[in-house]
Amino acid sequence: MATHEMPLDDKAKRMRELLSSFYSPDPSNSPNSSNTSSKYTSIDDINSISFDPDQYMNILAHKSNLEGLLQKHVQMAAEIKNLDTDLQMLVYENYNKFICATDTIKRMKSNILGMEGNMENLLEKIMSVQSRSDNVNTSLFDKREHIEKLHRTCNLLRKIQFIYDLPDRLVKCIKSEAYADAVRFYTGAMPVFKAYGDSSFQDCKRASEEAIAVIIKNLQEKVFSDSESMQVRAESAVQLKQLNFPVDNLKAKLLEKLEHSLKDVQLIPEEIGNASPSNHEAAICEFVEAIRAFRVIFPDSEEQLVKLARDLVTKHFVITEEYVKTRISGADLLGVLRVIWNDVLLMDKVSGEAALYDHSLEAAKVVIKLYITSTFSYLLQDISDSLLKVVKRDGVEKYSLGVSLDACTKAILQGGKNFLVDVHKILDDNSGILDKLRELIIDWVQEGFQEFLRQLEDPFLLLSGRNSSSSTQNHGFPEEAQDDKALAGLVLVLAQLSSFIEKIAIPKITEESAMSFSGDSVIGYEYGPAFIPREISWKFRSAGEKFLQQYISMKTQRVSLLLKKRFTTPNWVKHKEPREVHMFVDLFLQELEVIGNEVRQILPQGIQKHRRAASTGSTASSISNSLREEKMGRSNTQKARSQLLETHLAKLFKQKVEIFTKVEHTQGSVVTTIVKLCLKSLQEFVRLQTFNRSGLQQLQLDIQFLRTPLREIVEDEAAMDFLLDEVIVAVAERCLDPIPLEPPILDKLIQAKLAKTREQNAISS
Amino acid sequence: MQGASSGIGYGLKYQARCISDVKADTDHTSFLAATLSLKEENEVHLIRLSSSGTELFCEGLFSHPNEIWDLVSCPFDQRIFSTVYSNGESFGAAIWQIPELYGELNSPQLERITFLDTHAGKIKCVLWWPSGRHDKLISIDEENLYLWSLDVSKKTAQVQSHDSAGMMHKLYGGAWDPHDTNSVAATCESYVQFWDIRTMKKTSSIECSHVRSVDYNPKQKHILVTAEHESGIHIWDLRKPKFPIQELPGHTHWTWTVKCNPEYDGLILSAGTDSAVNLWLASSSHDELNESQTDSPTRRVDPLLKTYSDYEDSIYGLTWSSREPWIFASLSYDGRVVVESVKPFISKK
Repeated sequence: MATHEMPLDDKAKRMRELLSSFYSPDPSNSPNSSNTSSKYTSIDDINSISFDPDQYMNILAHKSNLEGLLQKHVQMAAEIKNLDTDLQMLVYENYNKFICATDTIKRMKSNILGMEGNMENLLEKIMSVQSRSDNVNTSLFDKREHIEKLHRTCNLLRKIQFIYDLPDRLVKCIKSEAYADAVRFYTGAMPVFKAYGDSSFQDCKRASEEAIAVIIKNLQEKVFSDSESMQVRAESAVQLKQLNFPVDNLKAKLLEKLEHSLKDVQLIPEEIGNASPSNHEAAICEFVEAIRAFRVIFPDSEEQLVKLARDLVTKHFVITEEYVKTRISGADLLGVLRVIWNDVLLMDKVSGEAALYDHSLEAAKVVIKLYITSTFSYLLQDISDSLLKVVKRDGVEKYSLGVSLDACTKAILQGGKNFLVDVHKILDDNSGILDKLRELIIDWVQEGFQEFLRQLEDPFLLLSGRNSSSSTQNHGFPEEAQDDKALAGLVLVLAQLSSFIEKIAIPKITEESAMSFSGDSVIGYEYGPAFIPREISWKFRSAGEKFLQQYISMKTQRVSLLLKKRFTTPNWVKHKEPREVHMFVDLFLQELEVIGNEVRQILPQGIQKHRRAASTGSTASSISNSLREEKMGRSNTQKARSQLLETHLAKLFKQKVEIFTKVEHTQGSVVTTIVKLCLKSLQEFVRLQTFNRSGLQQLQLDIQFLRTPLREIVEDEAAMDFLLDEVIVAVAERCLDPIPLEPPILDKLIQAKLAKTREQNAISS
Repeated sequence: MQGASSGIGYGLKYQARCISDVKADTDHTSFLAATLSLKEENEVHLIRLSSSGTELFCEGLFSHPNEIWDLVSCPFDQRIFSTVYSNGESFGAAIWQIPELYGELNSPQLERITFLDTHAGKIKCVLWWPSGRHDKLISIDEENLYLWSLDVSKKTAQVQSHDSAGMMHKLYGGAWDPHDTNSVAATCESYVQFWDIRTMKKTSSIECSHVRSVDYNPKQKHILVTAEHESGIHIWDLRKPKFPIQELPGHTHWTWTVKCNPEYDGLILSAGTDSAVNLWLASSSHDELNESQTDSPTRRVDPLLKTYSDYEDSIYGLTWSSREPWIFASLSYDGRVVVESVKPFISKK
């Protein structure tokens, strides 16, 4: 229609409007619409309602010419014709419809007539159907109930049958190893057994229980058997659990077994380095596997497993701790740690608890700390061992002082260095466990050095202190008396060692540790709180000084004893004329020689003093002789008073000789100090005695003889000369009859003595 | 440590070894010093510190027949003192009385009360009863210990009892316990030995070698200070005689003598052959000190308060003044008496 409507738009529209106005119940509608349309229509619009034919004619007549009018006429006539046909058609159609409607009404009327009777018929029939069905229902009801009852009984019977069959079935299941089914059956039958097991189904119950017992046994076996797959074992465990079997017991047993198997997972650190670690690895893998299985089997056993794993790690670490206590290198430790760490990682994967990781971290901390301390303590041990060797060996070998000093210094430096290298190795290894500890380790190392050096002083003090407090030999020295000499050497070694540590070892350690840890981000560690070289070096400096002092005092004590014997035994007032240089001079010089030897081995030479090359013994002695002669010559005349005055005056004008100067760590300084102290002691001993002339002369001779060799030894000649003079003066003061020996005799006696010693040397060599 | 020479000096003519505080002189601070000269006529000087404390002057000068090795002033009579002397060959001891002075200074003769001369051996020192008027004296020679009863008015002295030190020991010096007057300490080569003078028997001993000098702490019981040749100064608690409770380093050379201050506990003076006098402060509470020493060596403070080193020669004579206990007198071998005050260190305490 639409396609048809389009070209006939105007026409159709008008027609519809017309039709609608025709049918419209409301007449106001159409004029309204026409009104609206009329507004737009001009007067010459024929279609509008307000069309005025006269006006239209007028306008048309006015406007158009004839031709136009004619044309319009033709056009209008055509339109009119068209409209007539349309109208005709409409009327026809209308009519047609009307006829149809009339026909239909007629037909309806005739059809409705027979309906009533039919309806009644239908109702009747329906009624009869209903009554029949009711009849059927009532008649079948009883039977149905019966059937239902029968059905229930049948079910029950089937169940009973099932229960009776259960044992057989179970046995069958056992045979076919269908344990899952068996368990299902049994658990299904369980309520029945529970209810009637004591009465009707006794035998049955017993039989099935027996079967179930077998099943349980088998299941247990399955659970325990390692050959079964994990899945099977887990299932078995679950089944056991379903059977109300005390699985905890089982679990405990299994755990025990696991634990037992752990014993095979021994960590033998000694073997890690050389032998194949695969042994251990395999064991660990097995263990890990077992744990995994266990977790599957007993999902609730996490805690125990963690504990187990933890125990294992702890055990490892305990073993490692033991191992660390023995002497091991960093690489060894590293190897062990690595193995443990691998284990931990493996186990961690399985047990999945971070606790293990933390735990091992903690333990590793302890181990490393232990390692550091034990390394240091071994270092300490090394040093004190090599020091002790001095005491033990000195009697046999003469030159072990230097050797032991070397050993000690080497031990300190090398030990420190090696240790740092080791530590570095450990630090460089990024096996995870150590990464976290890195800073801590560095800290510990620094601390360790500090502690080590601090402790190093203790054995020193202990070793050296043994003498002064002559209490007990808690150090296990067998021969106390014979030791004395060696001990002095030891003290000397200690002195030098202390100064060595102060001057060389500490800066080196500082430097090296700074170097090793320089890559670390922690700033200022080398001067941080952990390692304070200044404090330590101060400590060792003072210790070194103390030891040196001790050495000196030990040596002077020996000489002092010698001198004491010399001066307290004879009756000086009744002394005989001197015949030769007294023996004590030899002893003294011997002692000095020993000291010189020791000192030369140990101490640095120091600045070589410019020696007078030309000073031969005789010229020097003659010079001093003349001086002496002058002095003595006057005292000859009994003018002791003026002589005293003279010495006092001489003292005043002489530059005051510093006798007690500070000792330095050099050969010369130590020897000089000892000589000075001994000479001072000599003077003091002299002052306590009273001499006759011969006594004076004897001492004069002795001192004169001493002069030359001492000059060779001593650095500070002036002080020595002064002290020797002082001795002579003291003797003179304490002499009842101070007449010195004649210089020629003095010279002669000295020459005789020199000749004798030369002779002796010749013989001995 | 080299302090400015604040001391007041006084010169003896000759060399000298001994100086003694005149304890009985309560009006003045006086000292007796004696010379040691083999050949010259020896003198005993009575030296008095001026009341201003700035000057030492000679109150009396008395000649003594022999060189004097030891001199002790009588604790109850300022005019009496004992000397140990030597004529070069043999030693002797005597009790002397200073004659009444009538202003003249020219060497009046000393009155000898009595000799203490039963000695076979070399007499070393004489000890007076520690305090107060008492007739007892002790003399120590190399081998023996004698207890004397002195009667000043009758001018006699009798040996009451004696004991020998034993063959191997040579006695050297001693001290009388001021707390327990029955006990006397005597030093020999390797021991300090103790005698009970009632029984005149050895009671105990402390093992320490080369003791030069021994002094009781007058303020504290059981405390004994010894000076050794080589190993400095040791402080002992007699109840714990195994180990010294404190060690002080002593002197560079021998520590010759050691003296406890009569008033200030813990102040100890020592003199040595290194021409120095050292003033020490031992901690007054010895037990605590002992602990702190073993526990924390860092806490140890330097016990050396001061070194007086303004001397030319070895110092053998040293004494505190009992009247003014902050003053001490020292005597070096060259005959120089120096009186110093330790007041700054006391006030600091």
